[in-house]
Amino acid sequence: MLFEATDLDEGELALQREVRGFLAAELPRGKFRPGLGMGAARDRSFSAKLAARGWIGMALPGRYGGHDRSAVERFVVTEELLRWGAPVGHHWVADRQTGPVINRFGTEEQKQRFLPAICRGELSFAIGMSEPEAGSDLAAVRTRATPADGGWTVTGTKVWTSGAHASDWFVVLCRSDDDEDRHKGLSQLIVDLRSDGVTIRAVPFLDGHSDFNEVSLEEVFVPEELVLGAIGQGWAQNTSELAFERGGPERWLSTYLLVEELVRERSDEFGERALLLLGDAVARWWGLRRLSLSVARTIDRGEAPAVQSALVKEMGTRFEQDLLAAVQELVDVEPVVEGDSLFERLLVAAVLTGPSFTIRGGTNEILRSVAAKGLGAL
Amino acid sequence: MSDWLLLDGARRLLADTCTHEAVQAAEADGWSAAIWDALSASGYADLAGLELADALAVLTVAGEHAAPVPLAEAALAGWLLGESVEGPVSVVAPGAFGELSLHDGLLSGTARGVPWGRAIERVVAVIDRQAVVVPAALATGVERRANLAGEPRDTLVFHRARVEDVRPAACDLDERGALTRAALMAGALAAMARLTIRYAGERRQFGRPIAAFQAVQQHLVSLAQDASLVGLAAEHAARSAGFFEIAAAKQLASRAALTATRAAHQVHGAMGMTQEYRLHQFSRRLWAWRSEYGDEQRWAGRLGAAVARAGADSLYPAITGGSAVI
Repeated sequence: MLFEATDLDEGELALQREVRGFLAAELPRGKFRPGLGMGAARDRSFSAKLAARGWIGMALPGRYGGHDRSAVERFVVTEELLRWGAPVGHHWVADRQTGPVINRFGTEEQKQRFLPAICRGELSFAIGMSEPEAGSDLAAVRTRATPADGGWTVTGTKVWTSGAHASDWFVVLCRSDDDEDRHKGLSQLIVDLRSDGVTIRAVPFLDGHSDFNEVSLEEVFVPEELVLGAIGQGWAQNTSELAFERGGPERWLSTYLLVEELVRERSDEFGERALLLLGDAVARWWGLRRLSLSVARTIDRGEAPAVQSALVKEMGTRFEQDLLAAVQELVDVEPVVEGDSLFERLLVAAVLTGPSFTIRGGTNEILRSVAAKGLGAL
Repeated sequence: MSDWLLLDGARRLLADTCTHEAVQAAEADGWSAAIWDALSASGYADLAGLELADALAVLTVAGEHAAPVPLAEAALAGWLLGESVEGPVSVVAPGAFGELSLHDGLLSGTARGVPWGRAIERVVAVIDRQAVVVPAALATGVERRANLAGEPRDTLVFHRARVEDVRPAACDLDERGALTRAALMAGALAAMARLTIRYAGERRQFGRPIAAFQAVQQHLVSLAQDASLVGLAAEHAARSAGFFEIAAAKQLASRAALTATRAAHQVHGAMGMTQEYRLHQFSRRLWAWRSEYGDEQRWAGRLGAAVARAGADSLYPAITGGSAVI
């Protein structure tokens, strides 16, 4: 069996109540602008408040400012933040991805330098993987690191980099050596986004927001101590990093709040179709959540559920889009940007960002390949 | 899974007895005394004597082997009466209640869709929230019918048949019936996914296993997703046995019956279109069980109405807390 059934224990349920209480007090419904899942706003001060509660870097070691808590506990906090539409943008990447990767592969010096600041909710990271010629095929990256006195000089262009304009650092996947095996000779460097030679150009997203960027690196000097892990091990490290970011609640909650608002604003006029849509959606959220929770529990047992994570992400993101389409078919509205109704504002945001759900963090086509290989047919 | 030994025993016994040939023969003959007797002798027919979750786990194993015997009905009869019933016994599904009436301890009317009605000793029906037990031999007429899987779903006619027992129904048959079907379907989906994945690795076309083709991989992944989702949902529904979890699990199972059978058949091509190959023993059961005790629409409507009534603020708490919340 790929997924084992698991329930939250008393301590985990208490944490869930604590987070709900915190959010109701800190971000009362109607008193803030909620966002859609991990696409929600950036808010340094909110991140700092979460950090003060110990809810950033939860699963990182205490000696680096973390809280030695479990993947399941992190799951409990994350799902509540996402379904509430809380502004998680500032710390999102650092908390989910960069922190765990530095903890796993980084040097002692890097851990001491970055992890405490991540856990305080201060540092914001971006992801420097994609390039114009390297989307799903990440081994095709052309950004090049060449040895220099005391470190490396990096030149190349990263694209579709979410939040680079507002982040402090990004982790750059680059080619440090030519090798016949294209998966060798890749490295990850931690690059200060304010370094000389870094140019960040906003690339307007479908919805007009400028969270998306193109980042050019022109002979950017990166000191030796900011090589993440080992030179030449970038591919293996990067693959494990992708496994960290799959299978969590952010892969099936992106359109949750849209439906909650639909119920809040319109359930008085619900007909049979609306009830069917709602019943179907609730069953799927419940089922997907069970799968996702099982993945978190498996991580806590020290295993690496890569296939399970790929199955959940592929299924969850498809569901996010199916649900959006069902809502669009159900309601007869002409959505107006910046309208009065929160439901309509969320509908606009969901429609205009929806195509990204099944692309970001690995396209569904790639995920299917990953999962199929793990199913043992070949 | 609380009792590993119990399940392991069930798995061995069902694998030994419910071979492809034995299941085919049971369909042709309308009953398999050999399989039923083997299960009875080992105690597996007395599902109501087990913890609820264990009984449902045995049903999932039965679904994995397409067991052609009324195990789910044995469980349902026992749950309705609050104690095990000497069997083979069957249960009249709620949809067919309208045509039955009970006066002075005498049952009259037509019971339709009775699983294995021709082969059982007793029938349990629910009339005005009372569980009524009547000997099957008292039926004045038995019409043989079958569901999409060729499992007997017979029509039994009673005329002033003296009932053996009447007592308040100890559970909600709608919900428990759906719970048994979700458990069976979880097993059938798991078996179908395994069979299909293995086949795709063995079958070669164009000089390579068909599993090497991305278009085929897509079907395998979707099958594994359906099987995983329903497997976990059925297990959680078995743990709680509450309305929310049952409604969600049966809904997910019934929807998966449509998508997963389609994917599995597409991978198998013409190989899956005959009764000589095992796939149909799972796909036909999934189609049949999909609509028994309520299909995905019925349960989606009920669940949707319940969460809409509870309101927007309760929506996420319901998703996490289930029947404890609504």
